[in-house]
Amino acid sequence: MLSRGQWCVMTQYVHDHWTHYWEGSTKRSNLNLGTVTVQSIAVGLNYALANRLNLIAMLPYVWTYSSASYLDGQRGVQDLSLWIKYQLFEVKASLGEFRLQATGGLSTPVSNYVADYMPLNIGLQSRTASLRIIANFTQGKGLYFTAQAGHTWRSNITVDRDAFLFHNQLYYTRRMPVPNLFDASARIGFINARWQVEAQLSYFTCTSGDDIRYNEMPQPTNKMRATAASVFVKHFLWRGLALQAAYGHVLSGRNLGQSNTLSGGISYLFQMRHE
Amino acid sequence: MFGVSYLRFIALGAALVFVFSHCEKAPESPAYEPYPETKLDANGGAWKTYVLTSGSEIAVPAPKPPTSAEYLAELADLKQYMANTTSEQKRLARWWGGNAVLRWHEIARELAAEYNVPPNYNPDGKTYPEPDPNNPSKYPRFPFANPPYTARALALLSVAQYDALVAAWHAKFQYKRLAPYKYDPAITPLIPANDLPSYPSEDAVVAVASRELLKLLFPAEKEYLDRLAEEHIQSRLWAGANVKSDLDAGRALGQAVANRVLAYAKSDGMAQAGDQSKMDSIRADAARRGIKEQWHSLDIPERPAMLPLFGCVKTWNFDEATKIALRPPMPPMPGSPEYERDLNELRYISKNRTREQFRIAAYWADGPGSYTPPGHWNRRAAELIYEKQFNELRSARAMALVNTALHDAGVTCWDVKYHYMIMRPTEADRSVKTSTSIPNFPAYTSGHSTFSAAAAEVLSYLFPDHASDLQSMAREASLSRIYGCLHYRFDCEVGLEAGKKVAYYAIQRGRTDGSQ
Repeated sequence: MLSRGQWCVMTQYVHDHWTHYWEGSTKRSNLNLGTVTVQSIAVGLNYALANRLNLIAMLPYVWTYSSASYLDGQRGVQDLSLWIKYQLFEVKASLGEFRLQATGGLSTPVSNYVADYMPLNIGLQSRTASLRIIANFTQGKGLYFTAQAGHTWRSNITVDRDAFLFHNQLYYTRRMPVPNLFDASARIGFINARWQVEAQLSYFTCTSGDDIRYNEMPQPTNKMRATAASVFVKHFLWRGLALQAAYGHVLSGRNLGQSNTLSGGISYLFQMRHE
Repeated sequence: MFGVSYLRFIALGAALVFVFSHCEKAPESPAYEPYPETKLDANGGAWKTYVLTSGSEIAVPAPKPPTSAEYLAELADLKQYMANTTSEQKRLARWWGGNAVLRWHEIARELAAEYNVPPNYNPDGKTYPEPDPNNPSKYPRFPFANPPYTARALALLSVAQYDALVAAWHAKFQYKRLAPYKYDPAITPLIPANDLPSYPSEDAVVAVASRELLKLLFPAEKEYLDRLAEEHIQSRLWAGANVKSDLDAGRALGQAVANRVLAYAKSDGMAQAGDQSKMDSIRADAARRGIKEQWHSLDIPERPAMLPLFGCVKTWNFDEATKIALRPPMPPMPGSPEYERDLNELRYISKNRTREQFRIAAYWADGPGSYTPPGHWNRRAAELIYEKQFNELRSARAMALVNTALHDAGVTCWDVKYHYMIMRPTEADRSVKTSTSIPNFPAYTSGHSTFSAAAAEVLSYLFPDHASDLQSMAREASLSRIYGCLHYRFDCEVGLEAGKKVAYYAIQRGRTDGSQ
């Protein structure tokens, strides 16, 4: 959480690829898909409106590729996300500090990219709203533990076709339901003036939706679920400049690829003079 | 502090929850509402049939007169039955009471979409399992309802419905027994009343004929189809639209006509259409015609060609000699300026596909998991029939004209595809990327173009006030294959022309079938 007058700009590159995926709960690969690669470059901004209130914005450019399929990969600017993060309370004790924070977010697609083109789509075209609660305990020497849980509401979308199977029933409409999401994660890490390292276990699930039909393409109505493990490291280089990197791997899932996600980013924290 | 209180935060959260919890997560389809059938087509029993020799071929026994004790007892039973109808049964009475022909086509399109999944390769990564009609529930389920399969299925369904309804109309106007509410004012039907004679019941005829054909075409769905047909027939009692003897006579007639169409279907050549043993001679014949670089499956592993002998399946509206006469000339060969021009167009689109081109390609793709291009046009036909509020017989006629044309389009197109064995653009140049999956059969001529032109022509004949939008839909469907880089422009242009020629024979039939 930034303090009043601080703001942080960051840019991040993400490289995500998978060869195995879950069709419903069955894990498989597909010779006609090979390895699917999704890359993105995002720019983000975090601004502290007040000591307890941060405003965060993020906009990624995404491009996709499949190693075996003749399907054209997609590329484009995806969704603009805005969050407000609010510190509900903070307790400082001899053992350490405990904080409880909440975020509220909104996102909207900013280009007319193709959503109904999984797995080579760059996004879902859904407008979303999310609420999340974050609890953090940081011990005096820098050891910390964070747990969070959130819910994301996702709007239905308009797709290019006007008939599709959903739960094995044929619907005659261009309006396709996109399920909502629940997510939770736990993180343990260490932070000091130079370094931050962290290990995370995360989980998300759609709260409704159907399975990918056998030997069929996925579609935005699918009920996705994943449990993933990741590690994160951040190095505070000089003044406000920091570098960060992360690696994540999906341990188990449903209706999605077993992603291996590597990311690297650079951020700069500006300190404004207080009037 | 910025002055934001907990309260304000909670209020924002509550507002978000309110807005988004109202997003319905179930999609909605338009409903077919029942409508009054005003134009009765009293001469319908004399209309030209497809498989039956005529509407009078199958004799329907005379019903008991409306004054007979038996009929009066049936009326009393019907009133009793209606008095005990649940709200769910009332809903079903209206669901089935709209247009039975269209309802069964909707069911068929849904089955086609569900079964339109190419089998996955075997664990060896080299071969594919084959659907087995004698063991339809075992993976890969039978059938793989690809475009030719679905075109033939919809044609058989509509022919059975149409012939059965012509026969029903013949008996209806022979005996002229009216609907029960015409004899007993205490019966208020749940669906619009009409003056159509009700013996034998057109709904029972359609339900049984449709059920029998769909059971042949989708044999793993027998129980589901039995249940639907029984529900449909019972719904006529819940609706107060038929007495039991109307329904029984309809069942018997529907079954008799279905048997005739089933016999036709079992000998139309479809059983041999997937035979891969002919591929060597098909390739040799194409080579003799001068086709050096021939089509190969682009699936990994290489998949057996889709229905290489579908071009030998019997056509509905013209004979074998006409089919051969309809074959277009050889397309431009690789190396020729015409070929290079059309391939270059695709190279350009592949790199510069616009969002609108993507949309058009996706809208018309009708690939795996969909009701296929014939299903797309079947749906358009259903929408137009519903808009014009045709009676059951005229609906079945329109469906039969469109669907037999679609079937004939499929047969002629497949004949051409395996006659010339032209490779897909992506096989010619692997850098040509598509925006939808590449079908597993040769390129020339475009199936989408042939199907679409055939259907649009027949529908323009049936619904002349929609002709211009139907024609532009067909053109767009054809162009969609260029935008998706599935086809060369020459595949599409020749396909459109071929589809129009196929439609001519269906339209000729329509002009002379006695319905004018």
